[in-house]
Amino acid sequence: MTAVAARPVSPVLRRDRRRWGWGLAALVAVGWSLLAAVDGEVVNPAGSVQFGRFAAAALSPALDGAFLGVLGTAALVTVAYAVLGTVLALVLGAAGAVLVARTTWGRRRLGWAAARGVLAVPRGLHEAVWGLLLVNVLGLDPWVGVLAIGLPYGAVTAKVFADLLDEVPRGPYEALLAQGSGRTAAALYGLVPQAAGGLLSYAFYRLECAVRSAVVLGLIGAGGLGYQLSLSFASLRWPEVWTAVYALALLCLAADVAGRAVRRRVAAPRRGADVLSRDRVLTAAVAAALAGVVWSWWFLALSPASLVSARAREQAGYVLGAAWPPAADGDLLREVVRQSVVTVQTSVLAIAVATAGAVLVAGVAARPAGRSARGRRVAGSLLRAALLLVRAVPAPVWALVLLFVLLPGVLPGALALGVYTLGVLGRLAAEAVEEADARPRTALAALGARPSGGWLYGVAPQAAGPALAFALYRWEVVVRDTLLVGLLGAGGLGALLASRLAAFDWAAVTTVLLATVALTLAVDLVSDRARRALR
Amino acid sequence: MDRRSALRSGSPGVQPSRVQPSRVQPSRVQPSRRAFLAGTALALATAACGRSSPVGAASPAGATATMRIGAIPDQDPEVLQRLHGTVAESLSAALDLDVTYSPVTDYAAAVSLFRTGDLDLVWFGGLTGVQARLQAPGAQPIAQRDIDESFHSVFVVNAATGLAASDDLRPLAGLRFTYGSETSTSGRLMPAYFLQQAGVDPQGFPGGPGFSGSHDATIALVASGTYQAGVLNEQVWTSRSAEGSVDPAVVQYARTPGYHDYHWLLGPQAPPRFGGDVAERLTGYFTGLSADDPGDAAVLELFGAGSFVPARASDYDQIEEIGRSLGLVS
Repeated sequence: MTAVAARPVSPVLRRDRRRWGWGLAALVAVGWSLLAAVDGEVVNPAGSVQFGRFAAAALSPALDGAFLGVLGTAALVTVAYAVLGTVLALVLGAAGAVLVARTTWGRRRLGWAAARGVLAVPRGLHEAVWGLLLVNVLGLDPWVGVLAIGLPYGAVTAKVFADLLDEVPRGPYEALLAQGSGRTAAALYGLVPQAAGGLLSYAFYRLECAVRSAVVLGLIGAGGLGYQLSLSFASLRWPEVWTAVYALALLCLAADVAGRAVRRRVAAPRRGADVLSRDRVLTAAVAAALAGVVWSWWFLALSPASLVSARAREQAGYVLGAAWPPAADGDLLREVVRQSVVTVQTSVLAIAVATAGAVLVAGVAARPAGRSARGRRVAGSLLRAALLLVRAVPAPVWALVLLFVLLPGVLPGALALGVYTLGVLGRLAAEAVEEADARPRTALAALGARPSGGWLYGVAPQAAGPALAFALYRWEVVVRDTLLVGLLGAGGLGALLASRLAAFDWAAVTTVLLATVALTLAVDLVSDRARRALR
Repeated sequence: MDRRSALRSGSPGVQPSRVQPSRVQPSRVQPSRRAFLAGTALALATAACGRSSPVGAASPAGATATMRIGAIPDQDPEVLQRLHGTVAESLSAALDLDVTYSPVTDYAAAVSLFRTGDLDLVWFGGLTGVQARLQAPGAQPIAQRDIDESFHSVFVVNAATGLAASDDLRPLAGLRFTYGSETSTSGRLMPAYFLQQAGVDPQGFPGGPGFSGSHDATIALVASGTYQAGVLNEQVWTSRSAEGSVDPAVVQYARTPGYHDYHWLLGPQAPPRFGGDVAERLTGYFTGLSADDPGDAAVLELFGAGSFVPARASDYDQIEEIGRSLGLVS
């Protein structure tokens, strides 16, 4: 993510045709999706009573001792999954980065493209899908949760790590090569130390995401907070659901605060007399992370033997035998195409809602740089807390409660994902505002501009680029998340996948998963092109 | 040459004597770092020994036989899953076995875990039980509740539709309609069958049928009017009506004929592990539960049962046939 934010600030004085093209295309896509989502009546005002019950329970969460005890243990499981999943992702990412870095492949573009294509497969499948597949091979083993986070995250991390390594200045690397050192040594000593800060920042960012993913895994039965949440959700016990949501929000907050502290330290190293001495904060963070890994391993009682056991091999054989070759009958393929279109429409609407919302809240949610009025600070804190809660409520819960007030169709699912994504995107957009250069706004204010003018002409133009880039990145994530909201009448590939999984029709499951991977890859390509036009 | 090989091998593995102290951090750091890494590796390798995972790792085959039981998430899953100790303890005391309860929240995951042998004895619905028996040949039904011999579903409608209770399902065809969970027997399979019998296309509702995910969500969605009609497990409907928690906007429209539903299913790997007569002993335990005994009564109440009765595989032939015709059994 840091790669997007670090965009050179250079004034562009002519209109960029490519940007206009992309803007127009985005408008057409949103309009097309909106037309599909809004045909006839969409609002169901009678359901506001049911929605009100959900909302009102936010103020009266379940706080009895027994339930809190259950949640406490569940939170530990979630933390352990998140920590080990992240570590696995970092190990895989570090190894994978070597395979997909341009530095490795040099001029051999075909090999590079093929390696990137291979990474798209683990990345294109949602963590929950990984979880369901792994349950079929490993059964009730804690490895399911760890691998379901670690494998897809590993693929994402490999891509980001490779980009970070490719982007650092190459002087030292080439100097080492010229002196006769091997390529591995040259990369280790010439590239890695320069990229280390970015790598570390990204590692902590992944940890925050992993906490939320660990909860999604709980929804499919892997234990932890998400498991308790889904149990209470099945019986619509909203006070218990909210307690679980608050617990999750606290975990996210802790990961966020720790990650922020580390990122800030990396971005602005402490200026001490001794340049070579270690930064205590960073040392402590790394030590705490290592201790966390050891504890998580012990707590989950992971055993490497179960990964290679005869039973795991036998079950993998069973699933692969049933799943290959993929089903290719005409009815299924037509359905896949039809549902892919619905998935695209859902994701486009969701990301449009999230982006629009993020633009609206970014200004207030950003921490003001200098002094500010008390009301402004309180409003900022409240809004940040609200964003935190909005992204702590899992997307399937949003899908059901929004379905109370909306009629079935694409819209409730899209809005559910949009609201959830707004929680993530709002924060990223606020950070983009915080990082914007304060001088243009100060200058405008000194010239007598109103605050709104200062914001519109001084801040918004700078923050718009990074914020849009984040939105395009998240689009790919939203496409995968549509799997979570498909069932409730919204349709899409997620509903199709769930129905095929429920019938244990493995050959059709393979077909739908292949379609999902292809769709993710296509969205990734389009969003990559659009991001390039933004640079 | 020496220097080059030192660079290649990377710092942690380098012999301290070869490293020039002026270029690298003091050499005494290195042994301690290596010791730390070795210690970490050792700790990780041994940490898991002697500890059972909080998320239910499978115990290795041949270890002390622990019977692992589970249940599909259906009515009040949070009560069942959080009070599972009651069942496990009662079963353990009666059969003199170690019994652990493993949590599951997903219907398909419960079937898969039964197939992989992670769960020995599972409380399945009618359809999930059929799916599980087809994937784990040799599995045998153990017991069902008294109410499962003739279980019913109820069709409910939102009062705003103005429909009065009737046995004719055809007026439902034009309404927005939701089932419960996709592989629920009482919330999907049997209602779809009875709709088909009445000449209503079970997938043909306006905008396609919804899948609310749970019986309680079905009630809430019909109450909100988002879906004008829905269908759910009669047991849940009766218990929610008795609690008075049902919104008055939801009214019963029709009740299906009876069919076989929930039952305990024993995996094929269980007899070799727990003795050839384990199926009879389990059936004996369940059918012997008496509402007069306070310990037994707690188990019966958890399952909403008056008593348990024996179950036969042939009880579920009709469900298998319907499952095949609806494409839910393959």
